[in-house]
Amino acid sequence: MSASLAVIEKDLRLLWRHRSGWLSAATFAAITVLTYSFAFDLVTDDVRPLLPGVLWVTFLFAGTIACSRTFTDEVEQGTFDALLLAPVPRTALYVGKVIANLVALLAIEVAVLVMGTILFNTTLVTAELLVIVGVGTVGYVCLTTLLATLGSRVRSREVLLPVLALPLLVPLLIAGVRATGVALDVSAPSAPWLLLLAVFAIWSAVGSALLFPLVVER
Amino acid sequence: MTAAIDAHGLGKRYGASEVLEDVTFTLEAGSRTALLGANGAGKTTLLAVLSTLAAPSRGTASVAGYPVDGASAELRRRIGVLTHSPMLYEALSPLENLRFFARLYGVVDAEARIEELLRALGLWRRREEPTAVLSRGYHQRVAIARALVHRPAVLLLDEPETGLDVEGVALLDELMLRAPGMTVLAATHRVDRIDVWADDRLMLERGRVAVAVGLS
Repeated sequence: MSASLAVIEKDLRLLWRHRSGWLSAATFAAITVLTYSFAFDLVTDDVRPLLPGVLWVTFLFAGTIACSRTFTDEVEQGTFDALLLAPVPRTALYVGKVIANLVALLAIEVAVLVMGTILFNTTLVTAELLVIVGVGTVGYVCLTTLLATLGSRVRSREVLLPVLALPLLVPLLIAGVRATGVALDVSAPSAPWLLLLAVFAIWSAVGSALLFPLVVER
Repeated sequence: MTAAIDAHGLGKRYGASEVLEDVTFTLEAGSRTALLGANGAGKTTLLAVLSTLAAPSRGTASVAGYPVDGASAELRRRIGVLTHSPMLYEALSPLENLRFFARLYGVVDAEARIEELLRALGLWRRREEPTAVLSRGYHQRVAIARALVHRPAVLLLDEPETGLDVEGVALLDELMLRAPGMTVLAATHRVDRIDVWADDRLMLERGRVAVAVGLS
């Protein structure tokens, strides 16, 4: 627990000082939402049925940009080996990384929801929607952090992460879009989508935590 | 004397390349051994295996009484490692780097230990500056502090003199290479300095032990 807290504190400090990675993800998210707002005719169209797709596409790609450098900086500076040399469980290092990524990505997502509320004239900052986005982000970040670790020593890592992650994230995206649609009252609750999202998040968290020590072993 | 490092038939293969072959030696606790050999002889790989950063393909080895293939936390707690890379966060200051690693190693008197090391290495005045602005030599000094912050019993060093000036090399001798109570295995190309600090010599040639002087 102490090791995880140390990693979280260190990563958040590094994120703050070395803002380029998260700023580019946040900028991408803002431009995407802004572009969609230009594309829709807010006066004549009911844009709400489109919003679940707009939001999750934005979260997905912003998250890929943000998480892709999770371990890349560590590998480039040689600190990845220093982490592996420390007498702490590998899983503690993984948990620390996941939580640091989660904090940063959730901050971007809340900003996107606020921006969407203004641009699409629809209340997106609701408790229900925040729960859906939060649970989905846990599943997303757990899996993406593991896959980013897997690709961190590969030269073509920027390409590798989306190629590996997107097929595995399909169930999360379907459940996330559907649950968001239900929350926005634009589709019927045809299945327990939030439950499905939660199951994916648990599977992703437990599976990735168990696999992480094997992934970093040489 | 007890063995601090014990290797038997150690081998390491990367793909088709056999980097280490049948490496066998024993280092007694408190001994100081220079690891010698030409580029590509396997020195860095041997240190990586002993420090648990790479798993051996064959053979067994123990460091401080713990097998390396188990890569246990107890083993890692007892070793201090210096590699070609300083293994430091460039955006953090030396103080923040050392605080982070002291937390990972569970150092009880972390603040006192960090101050002691930073003062000893002549870094106290620059402790708050980002590591990125420090010179190569100062990077190496911070790396020395990082490797020592948890008071390891065994030091595994890969060309520790890299980037250090005369004063830095003297500090390296004082704090690491000639420090009492620690077992040192250091890869080096500075053969002119070996007599200053090393009791024993271990020479590798194409992944095999070619010469072992003073070793059991």
